[in-house]
Order: sequence, then structure tokens, then C-alpha cells
Amino acid sequence: MEKFRTKIKRRIVLSSGMVLVTAVLGFYSIYSLNYSDSSTMSDGFVTGFQFGLIIAIFGLAVIDIIKLSLALKDDTKLKVLYNKEHDERLKAIRNKAGAPMIVITSVLMVLAAIIAGYFNIVVFYTLVIAVIAQLSISAIVKLICLKTM
Amino acid sequence: MKTRIKELRKERKLSQEELALEVGTTRQTITSIEVGKYTASLVLAYKIAHYFGLTIEDVFDFSNTNEF
Repeated sequence: MEKFRTKIKRRIVLSSGMVLVTAVLGFYSIYSLNYSDSSTMSDGFVTGFQFGLIIAIFGLAVIDIIKLSLALKDDTKLKVLYNKEHDERLKAIRNKAGAPMIVITSVLMVLAAIIAGYFNIVVFYTLVIAVIAQLSISAIVKLICLKTM
Repeated sequence: MKTRIKELRKERKLSQEELALEVGTTRQTITSIEVGKYTASLVLAYKIAHYFGLTIEDVFDFSNTNEF
């Protein structure tokens, strides 16, 4: 369990770093939104998407820090968290839903979409829709497996 | 697969949550095993049987596993 405790502490540090980075990027985005010349609707959408993504990552990182910090304070909660992460049934369900490859490809596709958004808005929309589609399919498969397994 | 987990739990006045914590799994997995939705791995089956001080065959019913 000490090994897992160290792993959790490392994850808290990582999430804290993520909070700091997203906070800086968030402020930069607010500045960009206020002063940028987003004359076309697509320019505004891309900037808005980036801002929304930053806010979402910030929120998820904060929730992660709170959840992990609470688990570190209580041995039972820590054991429940350990069991949840190492549970064979949940591992099987995650595998069926395509994890972790779906998450990795989705992150890469979102990054590609953001970069592509500066050059071609059609590519940006296509990649974003593809990410939403694959994450939705994965979520549906996960829900079905949770009901049937 | 039928199991005697629920019966053994009731005898010992043990909740699914407590059993899950002891054998290193989640409450939902214990529920799924009890209702026959999920078949436990050999390791988990051993852990559950060992916790109750019984053999795997005493806890899990393998009589229907050869049916096609």
C-alpha cells in the first residue's frame, strides 16, 4: 500500500502542475478573447473551444486533487481507491471500451484539431466530431458492459 | 455461475462492501459475482474462498460449466 500511496502523491503533484499550467493558459486565453481580432465566426469558435478545453482540464485536475487528497487522509478510502483501480471486472470493462488507446488517440486528435484549426477550419471540425464520436461509442460500450457484467 | 457467497456473507453478517475490501475488489464486482453476471478469475475466486476458510469448489458451483 505504501507504493500506491507514493503513486497517489505523485499524481497529486502532476495534477497540481496541470492546474497551474491551465490557469496560466486560461488567463492568456481570456486576454486573447478580449483583444484578439476574431472577426470571423470560425476564429471565435476555435478560440472558444481552446478556452473551454482549458477550463475542463482545470476542473478535472482540481477534482482529481481533492479526491486523491481525501483518499490519502483515510486508509479505508485509499484501499477502496486501490481496489477500484485494480479491480479485474472494471479492467475487463475498460478493455472492452477501448481504454487506454481511445483516450490516448482522443487527446492526440484534439491536439491535432487545435493545431489544424489555425490553418483549416474543416479539418478542425472533422477531428473534433471524430473525437466526440469515438468517445461516445466508448462510453456507450462501457455503460452496456457495466450493466451486463 | 452459481455461488454461495451471499449465503456465506449472511452467515458471517458481512456486507458486500466489507467483503470487497477484504478480498481486494469492488462492491459492484461482488454483486455481479453473486447474481451470476460475472465469473470471477481464479485468483479472485481463491481470495474469496480463502477468506471464508473454504475451498473454491465449496464456494463456486462448477456443475454447469460443461454445458454447451
